[in-house]
Amino acid sequence: MSSLDPTTDSGRPRSFWRSLDERADTPEFRQFVEREFPAWADEMLEPASRRRFLQLMGASMALAGMTACRWPAEPIVPFAHRPAGFVPGEPLHYATALELAGAAVGLLVTSYDGRPIKVEGNPDHAYGLGGTLAWHQAALLDLYDPDRSQHVAQREAGPASWDDFVAFARPHFDALRAVRGSRLAVLADASSSPSRADMRARFTAAFPDARWYEYEPLSRDNAREGARLAFGRPQRTHVALDRAETILSLDEDFLLHHPAAVRYARDFVLGRDPDGATFSRLWVVETSPSLTGSVADRRIAIPNRAIQAFATCVLAKLVHEAGADLPAALDGLGPVLDAARRHPMYGRVDADLVLDLAGKAGRTVVLAGPRLPAETHALVHALNATLGNVGRTVTYTAEPDPDRPSHAQAIRDLARDMGRNFVDTLVLVGGNPVYDAPADLGFGDLLARVKTSIRLGAYEDETSRVCTWHVPRAHIFESWGDARDFGGTVCLIQPLIEPLHGGRTDLDLLAQLLGEAPFAAYEIVRRTFARGAAEPDPRAWHEALRVGVVAGTAWPEAGPTIGTAGWSKRLRAALDAPAYPEPGSYELVFGPDASVIDGRFANNGWLQELADPLTKLTWDNAVIVAPATAAEMGVRHGDVVRVTRSGTSVELPVFVLPGQAPRTVGATLGYGRTRAGRVGSGAGFDVYPLRVGDDTAWADVRVEPTGRTYRLATTQDHFAIDTLGAQERAERAVTLVREVELEAWRHDPQHAMPGEHAVAPVELWKPHEYPDERWGMAIDLNACTGCGACVVACQAENNIPIVGKAEVARGREMHWIRIDRYFAGAPDAPEIVHQPVTCHHCENAPCEQVCPVGATVHDAEGLNVMVYNRCIGTRYCNNNCPYKVRRFNWFNNQKHQSDLEVMIYNPDVTVRSRGVMEKCTFCLQRIQSVRIQARNEQVRGENGRAAGRLIRDGEIVPACAQACPTRAIDFGDLNDPESRVHRKHASPRAYRMLAEFNVRPRTAYLARVRNRGGHPEGAA
Amino acid sequence: MSVVGTTAPSADPWDNTSDDPTRRAPLVLGAADYASVTEKVAELAERRRPPRAWYIAFGVSLALTGLLGAMILYLFTTGVGVWGLNSPVGWAFDIINFVFWVGIGHAGTLISAILFLFRQSWRTGINRFAEAMTIFAVICAGLFPAIHVGRVWLIYWVFPLPNQMQVWPNFRSPLLWDVFAVSTYFTVSLLFWYMGMIPDLATLRDRATSRVRQRVYGLFAMGWRGSNRHWQNYERVYLILAALATPLVLSVHSVVSFDFAVSMVPGWHTTIFPPYFVAGAIFCGFAMVLLLAVPARQWFGLEALITLRHLENMNKIMLATGMIIGYAYFIEFFIAWYGGNVYEHFAFVNRALGPYAWSYWIMVTCNVIAPQLFWSKRIRTSPWVAWGICVFINVGMWFERFVIIVTSLSRDYLPGSWGAYKPTWVELCTLLGSFGLFFTLFLLFVRFVPMVAMAEVKAVLPQADAHASPNEPERRATGTLAVEKA
Repeated sequence: MSSLDPTTDSGRPRSFWRSLDERADTPEFRQFVEREFPAWADEMLEPASRRRFLQLMGASMALAGMTACRWPAEPIVPFAHRPAGFVPGEPLHYATALELAGAAVGLLVTSYDGRPIKVEGNPDHAYGLGGTLAWHQAALLDLYDPDRSQHVAQREAGPASWDDFVAFARPHFDALRAVRGSRLAVLADASSSPSRADMRARFTAAFPDARWYEYEPLSRDNAREGARLAFGRPQRTHVALDRAETILSLDEDFLLHHPAAVRYARDFVLGRDPDGATFSRLWVVETSPSLTGSVADRRIAIPNRAIQAFATCVLAKLVHEAGADLPAALDGLGPVLDAARRHPMYGRVDADLVLDLAGKAGRTVVLAGPRLPAETHALVHALNATLGNVGRTVTYTAEPDPDRPSHAQAIRDLARDMGRNFVDTLVLVGGNPVYDAPADLGFGDLLARVKTSIRLGAYEDETSRVCTWHVPRAHIFESWGDARDFGGTVCLIQPLIEPLHGGRTDLDLLAQLLGEAPFAAYEIVRRTFARGAAEPDPRAWHEALRVGVVAGTAWPEAGPTIGTAGWSKRLRAALDAPAYPEPGSYELVFGPDASVIDGRFANNGWLQELADPLTKLTWDNAVIVAPATAAEMGVRHGDVVRVTRSGTSVELPVFVLPGQAPRTVGATLGYGRTRAGRVGSGAGFDVYPLRVGDDTAWADVRVEPTGRTYRLATTQDHFAIDTLGAQERAERAVTLVREVELEAWRHDPQHAMPGEHAVAPVELWKPHEYPDERWGMAIDLNACTGCGACVVACQAENNIPIVGKAEVARGREMHWIRIDRYFAGAPDAPEIVHQPVTCHHCENAPCEQVCPVGATVHDAEGLNVMVYNRCIGTRYCNNNCPYKVRRFNWFNNQKHQSDLEVMIYNPDVTVRSRGVMEKCTFCLQRIQSVRIQARNEQVRGENGRAAGRLIRDGEIVPACAQACPTRAIDFGDLNDPESRVHRKHASPRAYRMLAEFNVRPRTAYLARVRNRGGHPEGAA
Repeated sequence: MSVVGTTAPSADPWDNTSDDPTRRAPLVLGAADYASVTEKVAELAERRRPPRAWYIAFGVSLALTGLLGAMILYLFTTGVGVWGLNSPVGWAFDIINFVFWVGIGHAGTLISAILFLFRQSWRTGINRFAEAMTIFAVICAGLFPAIHVGRVWLIYWVFPLPNQMQVWPNFRSPLLWDVFAVSTYFTVSLLFWYMGMIPDLATLRDRATSRVRQRVYGLFAMGWRGSNRHWQNYERVYLILAALATPLVLSVHSVVSFDFAVSMVPGWHTTIFPPYFVAGAIFCGFAMVLLLAVPARQWFGLEALITLRHLENMNKIMLATGMIIGYAYFIEFFIAWYGGNVYEHFAFVNRALGPYAWSYWIMVTCNVIAPQLFWSKRIRTSPWVAWGICVFINVGMWFERFVIIVTSLSRDYLPGSWGAYKPTWVELCTLLGSFGLFFTLFLLFVRFVPMVAMAEVKAVLPQADAHASPNEPERRATGTLAVEKA
């Protein structure tokens, strides 16, 4: 036996063995292996082949990631809400941040036993205030995406390891350092991270001849350049929407596609409190209908190219007709304003708009969107200066990194260098330039010619495919890092989980390339935090980690001086350009997508299935055409058209949407990915090929029908509607989604509400009593912007499956909360309303009465609960639900989930099986967890005995209400007269949808307040 | 009932449809006597080899039944999503087919129970037939609610079974009422059918030429010897069962209509539904009886037993019930307008003019316009023309349920949730398969069971009348065309 004892075998290195037979390597064992594992016999008996070894390594690395899921491994992870000791199974919340478009929003991530399952906004973060957008919610799904790249890869050799990469990179970059980094370039995505800036500085110091470029396909560089024109240096504009009486947004979607959108949405709604002193009026001038446009009081739809002229005319009218004083510094604009009087847009500037802006110094705001050229931004600075807003509703901070070239310029310069073979080594940090760089650059071909290209990317996508090395990028929730919010405050990013697939952060990669390894992201972030000190102050560090933001790091307000040098002439010249495209062509406006933005979220099923706020389209993009334009083109909804720009054409379906400006069409970017993953590849149509040259905002195109049609999957209006139905829909919408005019409301709130007088419901028998709590919800339609954050938040919280395009097209989407969108008014100047609809938990629930097995019943607090275990799936309840909020599991929607994907499930919420009905529970699990906590917190009761305390108002926050950037949703106890929800139910604006059927819903809507002013039938 | 003497027999001895008030039309034609009736009917069930046509028909029906089985298997293994349903249209072919088949069944019960109580002796020629049709239709009907649920393995939860959890079904749910109504209906119909068949089964037993037949028919004949006491008990039980079954004719389809009327879906929530559904059920049930009787009487030579007069009577009933549902269609619209409920108003306008208007106008054409042809006696007494109209009626009645269910659900309250429905191939095959099941059972019935109630027909023969008119022998003599000839 001694020969079989591993401990005494000193002849060979220590190894592990599975059985004594294996160790002895007897002929019997060899036979056994050959018999049991014929395919693997070679590998098990002989030294492993390289290929097989790599496969096994890849697989075991994935598994190794799993073992790390149990506990966060970094040594210091303070809690945001610290429980009394670490209790397994008790969720913890960690503060972190997500950076989108170069600005961060602070988040709190819920983690169960080291497994992040839910994202919420960080209430301590000034640019989130606890709210999020859909992307922040959905970022979590990417963490568990099985298509994320799971190993280092080399183009020829296939899968490799990080060690292989290090073995390659160390000598390679040592050699580059020796030549000062010549012929080395870096192309990075935009980042506001101080640590990354620091690493960039070190990189530039180590490789002085290397080039560093940053590129984003959708950037706000025009705003930077506009400020440079106006002030001589890039400035960032900040607006106080809560204090503005008039907001004029020129193509700026500040409610959705803005780095500060979460905060701005909140401010905007705060400035529209119908009971408050001021109620702003929002004017939107835009081309394609945007979320901001959809909540505008007055909306003017004109081609994108005409917006600058429009803005010039606004200023001209203000100066010429409303007596606004042009500051002396802006005297250079005088000739421009004179010329503007003769411009056709001069007449389009509504007199009401001028009245709304004039004479309200410091109480108005003018914003310009990132699509507009730099001169428009400069002009808007001039407008704000003229209106006296600067320093009051409009403030400036200095843009960081003022000297960097614009993104468009950077990618062009890099492509030029690559084309001249000046780049031998290219490091790509994030981004996806092969997919989203201007199409005329031919970036993919250029990249394929670069000798050594190293790509840090979350997916082996279009770009990684042509790079020589691919390094998996750690997900944000696996990473240490930092980022600045829109105001400059640093947010710390801390990992929730060990990298599942061994991913690296950008800081890790740069540290490796600089030879600083094993110095990694954690140390780098601490070093940046310490600001030169050897170690960060532990208390400050812990506090910053706990809160998620580093206090006192916001940028100071700048007081730039405006001038007109250099741009007033360009503004004047631009006035001569035509305002409309030539006959026969249309202006195609490129825009970010409400789901995938620029394509980065293409493989995210939650976002793919999230309906666009306006089109309600899922899983696709389309060319947006106004009804009149469609008639002019001779195309119908769903027809495939060929969109051609100077020889390049893209075929995509038509979506007829009221509100698109005449003579224009719109299309969102980010679709038609070829290597996004199983979810995103092949979804939608790639319009980047039409985005060539410097015209990244819009292009003149020809549009021809192809004669083919395409099935678009929408979550509303699943099928083309007939005239009869359209008419009825329009008639019903005004009773379902009620609005009041601000004037009428101010005059007499009690009688401002339209609609019939409610008939007192007759009770045939004594209603149930709910002596303790009576939960209810109030949804303020005046606050809802329709952004869709609640939909994704609910999906994440409640383990709601994704069903795919085909099932959405059939009308089988599973969302428990949806946002109904209706149009009112003329199709060329529609008014749009958004209405979130979820289970109303009717007191007289029609669903409960018809279920044959009693699977849906009222509980003791009056919630309409669904007993999944009891449900047999007759679907009668949904047939009888007037709000159609119930969702049926037509198939086993959870069937094909991998072990990785199921990690995202909220353990407090049942995963529903096939054949079961489900619906909104008012987040019963959250009610329950707060209740348990309240009961456990002993207070002295009336009789002197210890008892659990009462649940405080606002303590229970359903996922939808939590995510809502504008706090449109309130939840609480209707029995408590002091609760917010009770007060909202009692508001004169409150109404209950379909109340006339005596279903007695627990959800009240608060009517939207319109502030059209002037002539109410809308402009343009 | 006996044949009253006549002085002017019709020119065509097979036409007993003349309405001469001075004489009763004969219920059985030809020179039928007890022996010939027995011989004719029993012989059909005793043939060693049925005609080739039976094999072909049976083969096709069995294949379709197999298709049904395959569709159900696919449904069970994959989920209800294989059908084209969605939110808002949670029911479509499943419940349409259910209501359709339940409705078909009603004519059988009406003929066997209500007409029995009203002493309509003409029913004897067709009641066995119609009752069999009822049973098979209810089998097809019961299938659909059972398979339409999401978790079919738990379907037994709809029954009030005592259990340790003390969980009971929801007695407020119309679906539960359905369970009781349909299961009661099936039980009573089956009992009634079988009970009425015992004397005939005994006849077959007595005529059996093989041991197996003797044993099997003997088992089901339950020792019937035709004694006076047997007959006395038989008649009494038959009467009681008829009395029990009679309310079911009205109640079952009323309860089925409650599935809709009790809900709050616009287009469903109308009080007219119970009588309207019952009339519709009788309407399409009679159409189905005729659909089966016309070919059967011709192919099996039963013109003497299932006479033209039988067919004409059924056509008259269809005319009457068709008018009732036509009226119901009209009054629904009137109430939708008069009631002032905007949702209901739209539901009905949408039926006639919305995206599913085609189905509405198919329904009106088939159910209201087509039966108007029955005003013509020529058409009423032309079996194959009537048969064609009955096909229309059955199609129309299927579409009536389609209109009620699909158009109402597809556009209810919130326009944001409006949808549309399109069946998948699985649903179409399932519907086809249910016809396969129905005809398979029916073909087995005509092969092995006496398809006309011999004992009852004999009771309406002239010979059974102790007070036979003196004309009787003469009439018998003139009936030169023997039953056998056909």
